[in-house]
Amino acid sequence: MDQVESLLKRPRAYDNIDGVAELVFGFMCLGFSLIAWLQLHTPESSVWNQMYTFLIYTAAMISIIHYGSKAIKTRITYRRTGFVEYRHDKYWVAVGIAAVVSALVPVGLYLAVRRHWEVLTPICLVGLALAALYIPVARTVRWKWATFSVMVAGPLAISALPADLVGAFANHMDLTSAIPAKAVGAYWLTFVVDGTALMISGGRSFWLYLRHTQAPAKETSEPASSDVQ
Amino acid sequence: MNRQVQTFNELNRVIHEPGRLMIVALLFAVDRSDFLYLQHETEMNKGTLSGHLSRLEEAGYVEILKTYRGKVPQTLLCLTVAGRKAFEEYRRKLKEAL
Repeated sequence: MDQVESLLKRPRAYDNIDGVAELVFGFMCLGFSLIAWLQLHTPESSVWNQMYTFLIYTAAMISIIHYGSKAIKTRITYRRTGFVEYRHDKYWVAVGIAAVVSALVPVGLYLAVRRHWEVLTPICLVGLALAALYIPVARTVRWKWATFSVMVAGPLAISALPADLVGAFANHMDLTSAIPAKAVGAYWLTFVVDGTALMISGGRSFWLYLRHTQAPAKETSEPASSDVQ
Repeated sequence: MNRQVQTFNELNRVIHEPGRLMIVALLFAVDRSDFLYLQHETEMNKGTLSGHLSRLEEAGYVEILKTYRGKVPQTLLCLTVAGRKAFEEYRRKLKEAL
């Protein structure tokens, strides 16, 4: 019975067989970290602090992610190990998880300010929640637990850093009275650590996938027309 | 007859065969996939996989669609509604029997 249940989980794991899912999330984390860095370290009147720049930047990033991952899947993955179309109800689960995690960020900050908690505590918890979302990926390959460990150790280490040092990453700029510089810096560092870990892990998966798989010869890739009729 | 043994006897024979069970379980978790994906996941050779798929198609559990991806032929496979129901029933009975 357990074997049947594990078979049911295999298609979900196949989604990241080439590391593309990790590369996508890593790219997203680092992409938003880059624009945040530029916004924090340039004058308020600079082009990086304009809303239209942010919208163009986000649209460009989404386009790269969409067309880049599609190109890898259609040109490499589907040709080597096959095509899978997932059930659409699963997408809503992913959207729901993303919405919950996104909601955790402002809720964490709000609670921290309202209850006079140390502001780095909820940020650390958000970082740990992101790491928890990675567990299903880590379970597929043993070495990915190293990526998970980095994603756990990162927020814990950031929360232990001196507030002044963390605030320096945000150029000591408070976004509002409720969002001090150290909170901005801690979020920025968390995204950089997670993004870097995911990019390295996804890149290694992609490299191993290319090394260990190859497209089948054309005459053997599909059954003859008399088969499967 | 012992109830547990009776439940084993009631298991769907078409699905219970290990090769076909793998195919149906993999297809149950997705909307559809191609022949190459099933070959990669089950590690069966082309002939064996083709034979199992033909048997499942005869039973009305799998739908096979021959198409092209660009100029490359592609065999798309998906479970039919009857196939999904049969697999759900099979899982339920297997849980009961164990």
